[in-house]
Amino acid sequence: MVKYLLKRFARSILTLVIIISVVFILLRLMPIEGYFQNYEKLTNEQIQAGIHNMGLDKPVLIQLKDFFIQLLHGDLGTSRIYRANVPITEILASKIPISLQLGGIALVISLIIGLPLGSLMARSKGKFWDKFGTAFIVFVQAVPAAVYFLFIQIFGNEWFGFSMLFSKDNYSTWIMPILSMAIGNTAYYAMWIRRYMVDESNKDYVKLAKAKGVSDNKIMMKHVFRNAFVPMIQYLPTSFLNSIVGSIYVESLYSIPGMGGLLVDVVKRQDNTMVQAIVIVFACVGILGLMLGDLLMALIDPRISLNKKGGAR
Amino acid sequence: MEKEVALSVKNLNVKFNLRGKILHAIRDISLEVYKGESLAIVGESGSGKSVFTKTFIGLLDKNGWIDSGEILYGDKNLAAFKTEKEWLTIRGKEIAMVLQDPMTSLNPLKTIGAQIGEAIEMHRGLKGAACKAAVLEILQDVGITEPERRYKQYPHEFSGGMRQRVVIAIAVACKPKTLICDEPTTALDVTIQAQILDLLKNLKKKYDLTTIYITHDLGVVANVADRIAVMYAGDIVEYGTSEEVFYDPKHPYTWALLSSLPQLGKKGEDLYSIKGTPPNLFNEIHGDAFAPRNPKALKIDFIERPPLFEVTPTHKVRSWLMDPRAPKVEPPEHIKELRKMGGKATWQ
Amino acid sequence: MAKFGSCRVKLEESVTEILRAQSGPQNDRREGKSGRRDEILRAQGSPQNDNRGGKSGRQDEILRAQGSPQNDSRGGKSGRRDEILEGESGLQNGNLSEKELFEFAGYDEACAEKIGYSNYSYWGSTLRAFLKNKVAVALMVVIFTILLFTFIQPYLPGQFEPNLVNNDASGKLLRNVKPNSEHWFGTNSIGQDLWSRVWSGTRTSLLMGVCVAIIEAVVGIIVGVLWGYVRKLDFIFTELYNILDNIPSTLVLVLFSYIMKPSVTSLIIGMSLTRWIGMSRFIRNQIIIIRDRDYNLASKCLGSPTGRIIFKNLLPYLVSVIMLRMAMAIPEAIGSEVFVTYIGLGLPIEIPSLGNLITSGRDLLMNPGLRYQLIFPTIVVSIVTISFYIIGNAFADAADPKNHV
Repeated sequence: MVKYLLKRFARSILTLVIIISVVFILLRLMPIEGYFQNYEKLTNEQIQAGIHNMGLDKPVLIQLKDFFIQLLHGDLGTSRIYRANVPITEILASKIPISLQLGGIALVISLIIGLPLGSLMARSKGKFWDKFGTAFIVFVQAVPAAVYFLFIQIFGNEWFGFSMLFSKDNYSTWIMPILSMAIGNTAYYAMWIRRYMVDESNKDYVKLAKAKGVSDNKIMMKHVFRNAFVPMIQYLPTSFLNSIVGSIYVESLYSIPGMGGLLVDVVKRQDNTMVQAIVIVFACVGILGLMLGDLLMALIDPRISLNKKGGAR
Repeated sequence: MEKEVALSVKNLNVKFNLRGKILHAIRDISLEVYKGESLAIVGESGSGKSVFTKTFIGLLDKNGWIDSGEILYGDKNLAAFKTEKEWLTIRGKEIAMVLQDPMTSLNPLKTIGAQIGEAIEMHRGLKGAACKAAVLEILQDVGITEPERRYKQYPHEFSGGMRQRVVIAIAVACKPKTLICDEPTTALDVTIQAQILDLLKNLKKKYDLTTIYITHDLGVVANVADRIAVMYAGDIVEYGTSEEVFYDPKHPYTWALLSSLPQLGKKGEDLYSIKGTPPNLFNEIHGDAFAPRNPKALKIDFIERPPLFEVTPTHKVRSWLMDPRAPKVEPPEHIKELRKMGGKATWQ
Repeated sequence: MAKFGSCRVKLEESVTEILRAQSGPQNDRREGKSGRRDEILRAQGSPQNDNRGGKSGRQDEILRAQGSPQNDSRGGKSGRRDEILEGESGLQNGNLSEKELFEFAGYDEACAEKIGYSNYSYWGSTLRAFLKNKVAVALMVVIFTILLFTFIQPYLPGQFEPNLVNNDASGKLLRNVKPNSEHWFGTNSIGQDLWSRVWSGTRTSLLMGVCVAIIEAVVGIIVGVLWGYVRKLDFIFTELYNILDNIPSTLVLVLFSYIMKPSVTSLIIGMSLTRWIGMSRFIRNQIIIIRDRDYNLASKCLGSPTGRIIFKNLLPYLVSVIMLRMAMAIPEAIGSEVFVTYIGLGLPIEIPSLGNLITSGRDLLMNPGLRYQLIFPTIVVSIVTISFYIIGNAFADAADPKNHV
């Protein structure tokens, strides 16, 4: 198992390195304006000096090497346009907490609602709850997030009078953003747990449990749900990712000062170093999530971890 | 010998709905199972053996139903059960089942201690330490060594034979009165088969169980059965005690079945096989279902279903050949030889 | 072991079944099963009639020999029974004497081999299962109508150009006009007709979605087939896949759009960049299954050429899931496009697209009077995406043999 973990880890690192390199190189294709505030006002010499200072005139591969060294020191670079000459790590540090908080709460809510909904759907297959849940899932999965976020905004605002402007202290403004971030994952979890539960219900061991006299309800909860949940675990970290990406949207909709909103801003302003840094951070989180998912699976499914310890065969 | 009836099936008809068409899987079967006996139901794949026994515990697939007939168990008619609650009084507690494939019958994510314990907790009301003690006792009963260690292990750490022992343990843990074993050894190695059969026999003796074996393996039957019922195309064509069916079979299908045993062949001869295939149960069957494959069929075999004829009070045959008006047909040579082999036959 | 006997019976049964299943209704291309019958017929000089399934067997043989008209409606059900009941006299007379009843009936091997004729056809069952799903069928009609309309709309009379800035009679700009008889969806803030913008936008978005789906299918299948067939490439591709799979697709899209100048083509490419990977992996798995599954091995042993194996064993499953992925690609493409537009990396405003419309409409959210500019594109997006999603899933469900019962 340790071998497996190491391999997985190495692969993640490799992926990360490749992504960073690709992002870095691609961004070198971006126009130079992305590195200067007030580009139009600068003279040619100032521009040349700036380019030299930032090391942009060196060959790309050397720049890449330097960048990796920089990264290893924990330096993500400096913003040029968004907040001129401020180290990016500082900027991010101020934005991350709020994103994490909102994202975390949204994740918990989507689990609390999504899992029971999905299992209810599996148990009442074909009947009301299944149909209702399916309609919900179809809507959320098919329609672009942008659209149902708007619905949430409109309804929240009209019916409940929630403000569309986020303010950290006013908890009523937390509701719509969290709801928006949670809804996608709720549908996702409900769909998958239902699918897994239905699959498990058809297996032989369920028949045996029935034959030994376990009631249908108990079978669903103690055997089917528990077994169906195990493969779900690999999705947990990934959907945390989804909520991060979703947060890009939600944060700008509600003017939340978080990571996602930041990305939108810097893209609009074409601050290259910031775009690069944020993309890298998101990629890291993404890859980390996938790896965690695999790790959790290996830990929880006894078939995987115990295979290495000699079982009677 | 006192023969008390444990289960009585009367004129049972079971149908399935497959893609809009109706399949008549069990065609008017009547059979009695006596307390404390070991009954084997033999037949080829698709003859309906499993379906037949599944009706006893309500495990028919969703697209199947009991069309008519009764299954009398004690004072209840199992065929009339509609709610799950009713079945919960029977399943495990009264009638337990050992399924065919031990590789998939166990929950891969639960320890076997938990799985056996679940049955014990439900049916005997024991919890905690008392439950664990009972589980360990049963593990020993079924011949699993080091029960303490095994208690905590998962199914994938067990071999096929051991898993089947666990499945048997689960069935027996409920302290049922009747045990149905659906092809208990089919998925196992030959060497393990004998062990499992011995185990079942011992358990039967120890717990005074009524056992019903479903199998297509005549060797198994010879080993364990007191009585044999031969099934073909959803009907029971012959039943009687083991001796009667093996040494004095009367139905052409039974002849054919027994003839298929390689042991009866002579070296160098072709192996015997029954020509043709079982009939399509979507169609209505007139007469004796085996007739098209029977070289010695009578014309009436195609027209009317034979009634049950009595050979001895315990041996009944559903064949027109038993009718006094029918011509005398001798069983094939090797069947007659079986009689001679008598007690010297070994089937394994 | 006693097992051998029954096994041998089983093997014969299954081989016969396989042969039957493969030949289907052409039972009568004489595969020796009704051999005896033909012999007899030929010996009696009757014309061979190919329309007989094996079902009627001896009955027809006897009937024909006696000159009675052939009756097809018998099917296999009466078979020998009727034959016997009709007896020598050729009459449908069930009254045979007791003596006759107990005579031997003779053995017809052909009848012994008679199995039920299975009329299972994969595509037939798939279609039937799909049609049972009323919702999916209804939505297919809806989508088809919408598609048709998006193409016809520009040619209808009285339509405005999507980018045309409209003025009223006095030359004043018709900004933010609510829906009226002139402009069915109203106009936007620079006086453009929303009705035509919506349909033009739908056209563009659908076009992008379809292109993405096609690219995904083509590239995915090619790569997948290579990956699966050429064993040497398997290792490289698998490692490559593992790396690429780890990259969040949204990021790729964002990055790509950031770098390239936004246009329909660049967006299509950006959206396709990550989709083909999933498709190719899937195809590769299927190809490997050709090589490994037992039933394909069995087909090979029976002499089926590889092409036939691919066509009959594999293709049904492949096609149905390819179609599912393609159907899903469209709502996802629309979603990505909306997302990317929102961030500011989308199509320029001169090319109307659903993403554009929603984003610009979004800014007017606060103003209830102008909300109509958001509502119309939103409704169209919802209908289109939900329809494709449901149709895709319904088709996948229908194509799953487990649901063919």
